[in-house]
Amino acid sequence: MNWEVYHGIAELLYLEAHLLDHRRYREWLDLLTDDIRYRMPVRITTERKDGDGLEAGMTYFDETKSSLAARVERLYTKTAWVEDPPPRQRHFISNLRVQPAEQSEEYNVLSYFHFCRSRASEHAMEQLTGERRDVVRLVGDEWRIAERTIICDETVLDVKNLSMFL
Amino acid sequence: MNRNRIRREHLEQLREKMSRGLFPQWVITDPDVYELELEQIFSKTWQFLGHESELREPGDYVTRWMVNDPVLLVRTQTGDISAYVNSCTHRGAQLCTADCGNRQTFTCPYHGWTFQLDGTLIGVTLGNKVYGEELKREEWGLRKIPRVESYLGMIFGNLDPNAEPLSEYLGDMKWYLQMLVGRTPNGVEVVGAPQRWVVDANWKVTYENFAGDPYHVVTTHSSTVEVDISPRAADLPPRTGYHVVLDHGHAMNLGVYRDVPERPYQGMPESLWPLFQQQLNPVQLDLLARSSIFTGGIYPTLSFNSAPHGFHGDFHNFLNFRVWRPLGPEKVEIWSWFMVDREAPDAYKRASYQAYISSFGPSGTLEQDDTENWARVIQASRGWMARNKDLSYNNVYNYLMGFARLEPNEDFPGPGTAYIGFNDNTSRSIQQVWLDYISAGIKEGEQ
Ligand code: FES
Ligand SMILES: [Fe+2]
Repeated sequence: MNWEVYHGIAELLYLEAHLLDHRRYREWLDLLTDDIRYRMPVRITTERKDGDGLEAGMTYFDETKSSLAARVERLYTKTAWVEDPPPRQRHFISNLRVQPAEQSEEYNVLSYFHFCRSRASEHAMEQLTGERRDVVRLVGDEWRIAERTIICDETVLDVKNLSMFL
Repeated sequence: MNRNRIRREHLEQLREKMSRGLFPQWVITDPDVYELELEQIFSKTWQFLGHESELREPGDYVTRWMVNDPVLLVRTQTGDISAYVNSCTHRGAQLCTADCGNRQTFTCPYHGWTFQLDGTLIGVTLGNKVYGEELKREEWGLRKIPRVESYLGMIFGNLDPNAEPLSEYLGDMKWYLQMLVGRTPNGVEVVGAPQRWVVDANWKVTYENFAGDPYHVVTTHSSTVEVDISPRAADLPPRTGYHVVLDHGHAMNLGVYRDVPERPYQGMPESLWPLFQQQLNPVQLDLLARSSIFTGGIYPTLSFNSAPHGFHGDFHNFLNFRVWRPLGPEKVEIWSWFMVDREAPDAYKRASYQAYISSFGPSGTLEQDDTENWARVIQASRGWMARNKDLSYNNVYNYLMGFARLEPNEDFPGPGTAYIGFNDNTSRSIQQVWLDYISAGIKEGEQ
């Protein structure tokens, strides 16, 4: 793997985490291609013979750029109570692996996430862990996220809601 | 027992306050009350286990919970639905930890006992060699959930062998369920697996939120109206909000247009309309044609919601049922099923699914804000003042909307007692049912 490509994609994902953690959601949208497909399947526990539990036929997110933009705009209204006062949140992104995809200018990118959120004066952090299976595209000389599938490790999410983007 | 700390005088005080539209704050998260609820409500009432469409083939199973009792729900070889305690009869290990699957037998990983779909114990490791002839296998089959009954594909269980039949328990709610899950000949189906997540909330609050509290929508959900995820009331034709109080703590809320709107039947596709006509009586049909919103609940922990939402003004209705599984007085595990009429066209199924995840479930833009507000109720309910059972601090909730002022609406065509506009009549009646259950647990003379 070309180091420059790897580095460029790593920078994209770190920039993304920074924008999300600082609630700069509109700028975050700029990192997504206009044709992005953004999904988070519901995960279930299955017997080993039945696979990895990702084919449950339901999702938490199944978004386009336009629907993500609507979610973002809502978070900027004065009555999005879930993020006012804003929780503190952190995306730790690691275990980055990059493979060329079928289309030139596109790469299959795997990263792990550890999401932590601190709400109000609560002592316990809300947490989610998992991986993201992305397609990252070079648009001009900018890296953009063209597809994301969020695979969470928990089948019962121990977070009050998914107001965050993963 | 802890519950001795709740005395008869507290009950009398509860009754007296509630008769004046006040609900003492301490009962929401009091641990003793929670123990009484397990004993007096959750061991006796019908709880939702799943929908028949989740078990299509013989051998299909799902695992569920009735509060803390693990349940294994299966479709047997004969096509019937059975529910067992999901715990091996030998030494109690949880038999099946997958959420769903298909099996002909269940083998316990601890000592290897094996059970058939009909519950029969068919395999005992080393069998007669270790047990001799004395082990009567027929006595060691899986233990059944005492009562399992269905209505229109909705499967319920009850831990009380003497419970009244589900059909009677549902009572007038059946009339409304026909409009929600029985309006097409093949009924509705669950799409995929339920979403599950854990919120800081008390089950009484979440149940009441869906069954009797459209008032919260104005404030809690104003953001989705602002960004065109939910319709603006002013853009809709004139409509009336009905609160319908039903027996046993069940409740319906309906938003009903005065006239049949341009897009009748909540905007559902035209190909379904003749099917509605086949399935429903003229009164139900007219009400469904004029409806915009249904929310409500089947006591104690099943709630539902059918409303139009969607991004950028592309509103579609959807049908969502959810169980508030209590994990203690301050936590609820939500199980949320998206359902859709089997006979609906695929394009509508897709649009309806998108509308659901845009608005409800953990990622839903409306429900996100609900979870915040339910958590706030919990966080303010732990204090000395909030928990004071003598009510020395005016620690009572306000259930006074429409109190002693609002008369039932005689023109509402459906069963139950209907009230127009925002009011607390439903909420008061739900909490009165709660009090009746709890009172049964505090016996005469008990101090
Ligand atoms: S506990 Fe299941 S076989 Fe012993
Ligand atoms: Fe709500």
